[in-house]
Amino acid sequence: MSRESRSAPGFDRRRFLGAALGGAGLVGAGPLLAACGGTTPGAADAAATGKPKRGGSLRVGVAGGGAKDTVDPHIAATNPDIARVNAMYEPLAWRDAEYKMEMVLAESIEPSKDARTWTARLRKGVKFSDGRPVTADEVISSFKRMTDPDSPGNVAASLSMLDEMTKRDDRTVQFHLSSPTAIFDDLIAQYSAGIVPTDFNVKKPIGTGPFKLDSFTAGQQSTHSRNEYYWREDQPYLDKITIIDFPDDNARVNAMLANQVDAIDNVPVALVRVLNTDPRLRVLNSETGSWLPFTMRVDKPPFDDVRVRQAMRLVVDREQMIRQVLSGQGRVANDMYAPFDPGYAKELPQRHQNIAEAKRLLKEAGKPNLTVELVTGPIQAGIVEAAQVFAKQAAEAGITVKIRKVDTSTFFGDDYLKWDFAQDFWYTRNYLSQVATGSIEGAPFNETHWGGDKEFMDLYHQAVAEIDEKKRTTLMKKLQKIEYERGGYIVWGFPNQVDAYTRYVGGLEPDRTGLPLNAYRFYKVWLA
Amino acid sequence: MLRMITRRLVASIIVLWLVSLLVFVATLMLPGDPARAILGQGATPERIAALRAQLHLDQPAWEQYTHWLAGLFHGDLGISAATQSSVNTLLADRVVASLLLMFLAAVISLPLALLIGTWSAMRRDRAADHAISGVTLVLAALPEFVVGIIVVVLFSTSVFRVLPSVTLTRPGDPVWSEPAQLVLPVLTLVVAVTPYITRMMRSTMIEVLDSPYVEMARLKGLPERTVIWRHALPHAIGPVAQVIAIQLAWLAGGVVVVEFLFRYPGVGAALIDAVNNRDVQVVQAVTIIVAGVYIIVNLLADVVGILTNPKLRTGMSR
Repeated sequence: MSRESRSAPGFDRRRFLGAALGGAGLVGAGPLLAACGGTTPGAADAAATGKPKRGGSLRVGVAGGGAKDTVDPHIAATNPDIARVNAMYEPLAWRDAEYKMEMVLAESIEPSKDARTWTARLRKGVKFSDGRPVTADEVISSFKRMTDPDSPGNVAASLSMLDEMTKRDDRTVQFHLSSPTAIFDDLIAQYSAGIVPTDFNVKKPIGTGPFKLDSFTAGQQSTHSRNEYYWREDQPYLDKITIIDFPDDNARVNAMLANQVDAIDNVPVALVRVLNTDPRLRVLNSETGSWLPFTMRVDKPPFDDVRVRQAMRLVVDREQMIRQVLSGQGRVANDMYAPFDPGYAKELPQRHQNIAEAKRLLKEAGKPNLTVELVTGPIQAGIVEAAQVFAKQAAEAGITVKIRKVDTSTFFGDDYLKWDFAQDFWYTRNYLSQVATGSIEGAPFNETHWGGDKEFMDLYHQAVAEIDEKKRTTLMKKLQKIEYERGGYIVWGFPNQVDAYTRYVGGLEPDRTGLPLNAYRFYKVWLA
Repeated sequence: MLRMITRRLVASIIVLWLVSLLVFVATLMLPGDPARAILGQGATPERIAALRAQLHLDQPAWEQYTHWLAGLFHGDLGISAATQSSVNTLLADRVVASLLLMFLAAVISLPLALLIGTWSAMRRDRAADHAISGVTLVLAALPEFVVGIIVVVLFSTSVFRVLPSVTLTRPGDPVWSEPAQLVLPVLTLVVAVTPYITRMMRSTMIEVLDSPYVEMARLKGLPERTVIWRHALPHAIGPVAQVIAIQLAWLAGGVVVVEFLFRYPGVGAALIDAVNNRDVQVVQAVTIIVAGVYIIVNLLADVVGILTNPKLRTGMSR
């Protein structure tokens, strides 16, 4: 979107312009009378069940996008960018729909005992869409491109420990790190870490993804055809896909209802129930680990007093937030992130609204009638609504929350990461990767200016160097307890990702990554 | 007469110049450095300096302005900050697409409004007249995005599924390559514009029909058709032309919302995108284009007003 700097992996903003005007009125429940405006797949009425079929063309409507769109694999920012990147390129590994590590171009990625050297072994016989083989050389040049200090990619900030790479043989690359990093595999399992040829040219992009680029107009659409050299057997099933930008929610939903597109991402949550009643459509509702926190700067008054932070966390009625902000499409959170991490501290008691205790803490802190300014903006669906609900809830404890609404460019402008009290949006991550990106000193997106805590930092450095998973989990639980008690985030919920597709589209399943439409994994999509 | 038209023309040019000044000063006052915005995180001091020089940002404001103005005269709208390519290529197809939308809306709504307005005036205070008054009043009160949503629900998604709801023309193909896609946006604009003109035409026509010369013409025994077409209509057109001009000029701005709703690839959609991206050059260019359309349409209305007013036409009044 309008972020002026490049974003870290998985840290992309989806903006929704305009509310869902018309709401229920948009949706009809009658039978499909006539399909119009463009080509319709042959058997438009048959539902996709049973075995996948080859062939066909898929039209996907994707939220957002604009003149700044790019097909560069390493700097994707908007949803259409991510959709195109996932169609055209692949990283060494990624997170699958269950948020488990899945090897993609690599067949293994293993650490040394001291976690300073990681060895990636490439899958046999993987080729680029022009038929050339993928070797260790391309892996090395791709990582050099992503971390080029003159034009850094999304993952550059989190790979600062990457010193050099060596080629062991044609299929083996060693990554040498300046500090022990037990989560290096997690850090490179990102869509923004795609492998491209050494002579990569963004004007004629080549990748290993299921589809290759036929045409691309920024802010409009791109067309792709099947990559005949794709390595997954029988896949992709589709012959062609078209990825179409839709900055407006209404236009996107209407295009779906008028059968001008076969699938759309980011259905406004208020429309879920109505779309569910349309027999032509399927709603893809995914539980995710995405979160929309309130961010309190722990180094600035009044939030430098831990009692104020605790009070702010206690005024939130999380169930009400889920109901009113997300129309029930989400799960309550407990001021901690990374719910799908095997080391998630689920034993910590769920925090509930407690106005009396919040008042007591504020009184103790000497701030019984606290007034704070909350900076918000339409940076993601639900953000502004969450601010409004929060202000109401905080008023019960005598806290005055002044809402200052700014536009997206201002929000992500010069003051971004400097607001005393604001909001933000993150996709699913595992715990330590998230800490590395947002919760240590020097992290690229440290909104709460967390990390001054010596106990926390010591434990973090131990954890991130520990390759024994059991020991690492113990350390992680301690870290989470500290954040749970003293941190600067108010994490009230994990919103669902809601997308929709017509019933003749097969192969899409709920996805925990928080990326829309099954993380745009088009290789397994097929048409009935 | 020629002198009056020349005077209007000169005034228009001055207004356009003032608009350019205003647009430029307004964008100067926007916070943030465009060079930094373009480079993002890769903004090293050297690269910022180089880009600032390339964009003439290192010059004083008046030099930047004259440079920009000189570019306008050459038809060069500058370099878009977001895409780092020429604004001309970015907007060329879009201007044509938007003008097409406006042109179609005008060609349909003008005769329609004039006919309905005249007919309504002729059946003054009868049932048909009251019905038309009521309907046009309601339609005039509806904002165009509401009209847009209603026509989409009616003709595309829910009631009749006969027309596409959004424009999905392949980039590079002209928007008229699939005419069905133009129907709903044009219909929305027609519904938004026609009621005002109809109401104005009706009231002006009623005034004219009550005037002594129409009575005289009738008393002479001229057939009613000749009375209307030869004597009444030309006199009504003058005042209505002003309303038409305002409505057509409004179209230039109104397309922004309509284009967004129908995903129509015109200047309106480009403007919204550019504002979100702080793409100053594109915002300036689109504003100047829209202002230009306003001024041209108003100028044309003035000319029509002069031509249809005998006093002005013959230069009797100065």
